[in-house]
Amino acid sequence: MSAEQTVGDSGVGAQARALVRQTAIAVRGALSRWDGRLTVAVAGAAYLLVYLVGLRQLGLGPWGFELSVVADPLTRATRLRGPFQWEPVALIVAGPVELLLSPLNVLLGGLLGALVGLNLAVSLVAYRGPAACKLGPGAGAAAGLPGILSGFACCGPTVLLVVGVQASATLLTVFQWLLPLTVVALVGTLLWVGTKVAG
Amino acid sequence: MKRTRRALLGTIGAVGAAALAGCGGLDSGPAGGGTPRGPGPPTAESLYLGDDVEALRNNIRDGGVPKDGIPAIDDPSFQPAGAASLDDGAPVFGVARGDEPKAYPQYVLVFHEVVNDSVGGDPVSVTYCPLTGTAQGFERGETTFGVSGRLVNSNLTMYDRGTDSWWPQMVATAISGPREGETLEEFRVVWTTWGEWRAAYPGTAVLTENTGYQRRYGTDPYGRYNPPRGYYANDDLLFDPLVSDDRVPPKRVVIGTRTAAGALTFDKESLLAERVLIGAIDGTEHVAVADSTLSTGYVYANPDGVAVEPADGGYRVGGETHAADALPLERMLAFDGMWFAWAGFYPEVPYVR
Repeated sequence: MSAEQTVGDSGVGAQARALVRQTAIAVRGALSRWDGRLTVAVAGAAYLLVYLVGLRQLGLGPWGFELSVVADPLTRATRLRGPFQWEPVALIVAGPVELLLSPLNVLLGGLLGALVGLNLAVSLVAYRGPAACKLGPGAGAAAGLPGILSGFACCGPTVLLVVGVQASATLLTVFQWLLPLTVVALVGTLLWVGTKVAG
Repeated sequence: MKRTRRALLGTIGAVGAAALAGCGGLDSGPAGGGTPRGPGPPTAESLYLGDDVEALRNNIRDGGVPKDGIPAIDDPSFQPAGAASLDDGAPVFGVARGDEPKAYPQYVLVFHEVVNDSVGGDPVSVTYCPLTGTAQGFERGETTFGVSGRLVNSNLTMYDRGTDSWWPQMVATAISGPREGETLEEFRVVWTTWGEWRAAYPGTAVLTENTGYQRRYGTDPYGRYNPPRGYYANDDLLFDPLVSDDRVPPKRVVIGTRTAAGALTFDKESLLAERVLIGAIDGTEHVAVADSTLSTGYVYANPDGVAVEPADGGYRVGGETHAADALPLERMLAFDGMWFAWAGFYPEVPYVR
């Protein structure tokens, strides 16, 4: 960081505002380029798909075409079935693809995907930009790490079956906090990368 | 397993109907949420517990889902056997009460664990715990059961919506709440295959996927039984058992029974091969006999040590031949379960093979 110390000495609030301002400039800069927009779109969409697959709400099944909706979708959509998992309100089958539609999970996956996409886009643009930006290729990977973590968060204890680890009270508590921690980490890395670019 | 697919045009109609049925429709069962509101379920004579109620209560674990996060089926719908598209080898849980046989496919119950139903005119709950491989039936009286989201020894812990008491399925005894220490009235649920159940009960009804919830039925989150894969086939446990007992691999299937005096397990594969196995609970002989038509077994108290011998079409007792489920002895409630679950709830339980 270089500019933030000179913005003023009015304390943490001013520094935070400067941080957000710099990141916003970096994000706007990334989105003004075609490769930045493409990165956000592809990474965001890919993340959303992986997130839904991880939740087992998207996958392959027997061939068919079907659309069925629960009786009271508005009430059902807000009913929790696990940490940060809500009841599906519809099943959509198109050929071999099955999608359980849970609107809040699609929103959450979209938000996480957007954050991962923005992280990568800002990192990519910085990497391709002037050397003064001081951002190496490792920054992109660092920015993506929280996104991978959140992939574990989505699946709950069933992911333990895959990795062969026994559940414990501590581990289950970690799972419950993994997703909000991921959001914080994604925002944190975005701010960090943003200031590097703006610097 | 073949999935039921409704035609697109039909389902567009259903969507319209669902939109109109805003105040009930598919979702009209007893509401969850656990607010005590009414009488609890009927109870029976107490059963032996390997640990006391307090010890079990101290071992309640968070299963990773909230109360009713796994939704019980409160308004089940059924179809005739001829309309079902199940593979013959698909596991089903069979109940025959009065003149009414019903089959509950495992691939549906794995997403719900409790079905609040009526069979033979009686209000009952058919329950299934995927982690312990146990299917059990309970009289529910005027109340219904829900899934608490907690586990004891990896076992489903139900709650009754009348009193909000918590009942681990296998011990069938409340470990917290107003009914603490009381034991549920149980009935036999047969773990068999669709092909065998349908052959034995051609007039059976089958639970459908119209549960009031949307799930990707057919994609079991734990693995599969036909053929065995994943959690059902390996030795990995998701949670530590109450007691580890390595006499047998943890998920070996046993048919167990418990009385007021103790518990006893029989190796299912050995029973189906040998046809008769003998064990004892607190010095009282118990005999298990195989039923090849449903690939299951029944357990009888045999305090006088009456000879039970395999015969064509059944078992010879006192000079006459009887069906496996109708020996002239006192039949005990028995059910399939994974070994680690039986050994965890009933430490040092006898194992007969």
